[in-house]
Amino acid sequence: MATTATISISSDVAPGFGGISETMTLTQAGTITDIDSTTGFQIRKLTATGAVDLVTMANELVEPKDSTANSAGKIYIRNIGYRGVTDKSVGVTIGVNAEPIGKLYGGDWMMMPLTCIDADDVTVNPDTNDTVVIEYVMFYEEA
Amino acid sequence: MATTTAAVTLTSDLLSDAMSVSASTTCMKAGTTADGLDQMEYGYVDLPTGDEYDLVASTPTASKGSKLYLKNHSTDETYYVAVTQNAQAIGRLYGGDWMFIPADFHDAAADIAITANGGTNKICYALFHEGTVLVTT
Repeated sequence: MATTATISISSDVAPGFGGISETMTLTQAGTITDIDSTTGFQIRKLTATGAVDLVTMANELVEPKDSTANSAGKIYIRNIGYRGVTDKSVGVTIGVNAEPIGKLYGGDWMMMPLTCIDADDVTVNPDTNDTVVIEYVMFYEEA
Repeated sequence: MATTTAAVTLTSDLLSDAMSVSASTTCMKAGTTADGLDQMEYGYVDLPTGDEYDLVASTPTASKGSKLYLKNHSTDETYYVAVTQNAQAIGRLYGGDWMFIPADFHDAAADIAITANGGTNKICYALFHEGTVLVTT
């Protein structure tokens, strides 16, 4: 049983930069034991501006263990546009506990760790009222 | 046009059928399809315990695009780096973990800060961005 994530970055911004290729195995905090819980792969359609929860920590059916008890949650999020059309000119701001982390434009993805603390919900806030779909999957430890 | 491409492949067998997700994106300047991010910083540093350090000291560039890659290269799985943005805890990167986010430097307080736990952690990071001007001495 394993969950892995591999990132590959190539860039011609700086001469001589050889790129990045790294793989991580998602494990439980401080161990080499594989992570054991997931929300599964989901989508969320957004049709209006205004921040809404993508993940409400307190509402997960399997309660996530939070970082005060040591945990190593991760979330993958991608802006997949709508009906096959992605727009790089408008974005969706991803936040944690109302703090803007960054904006995903059409086609952009992110992977970040999470505290999984109840207050640290993951939020999404589109730039416009145009329909946009966010796909995501969270991996975490059961409390 | 400068071109930076970031791809991810995510696989998991936690569900009854194996899950595999692949995605790739070209990192563009904010709100445009015409021009890619054209600046970068790249580093590999030791991060001692005891203090919180700014990995990226924010200059307000809310209208700019940026992507931050950060990996904890510590080989001890009990070591971790706590990551915060604007004092909001994001999460922990244990030895071997990486993250990739569209960092939002929306105001002067929106620093990306990191704190080592367990021992001195080894950190690799890359920031792809636009519009940064050096500060005069």
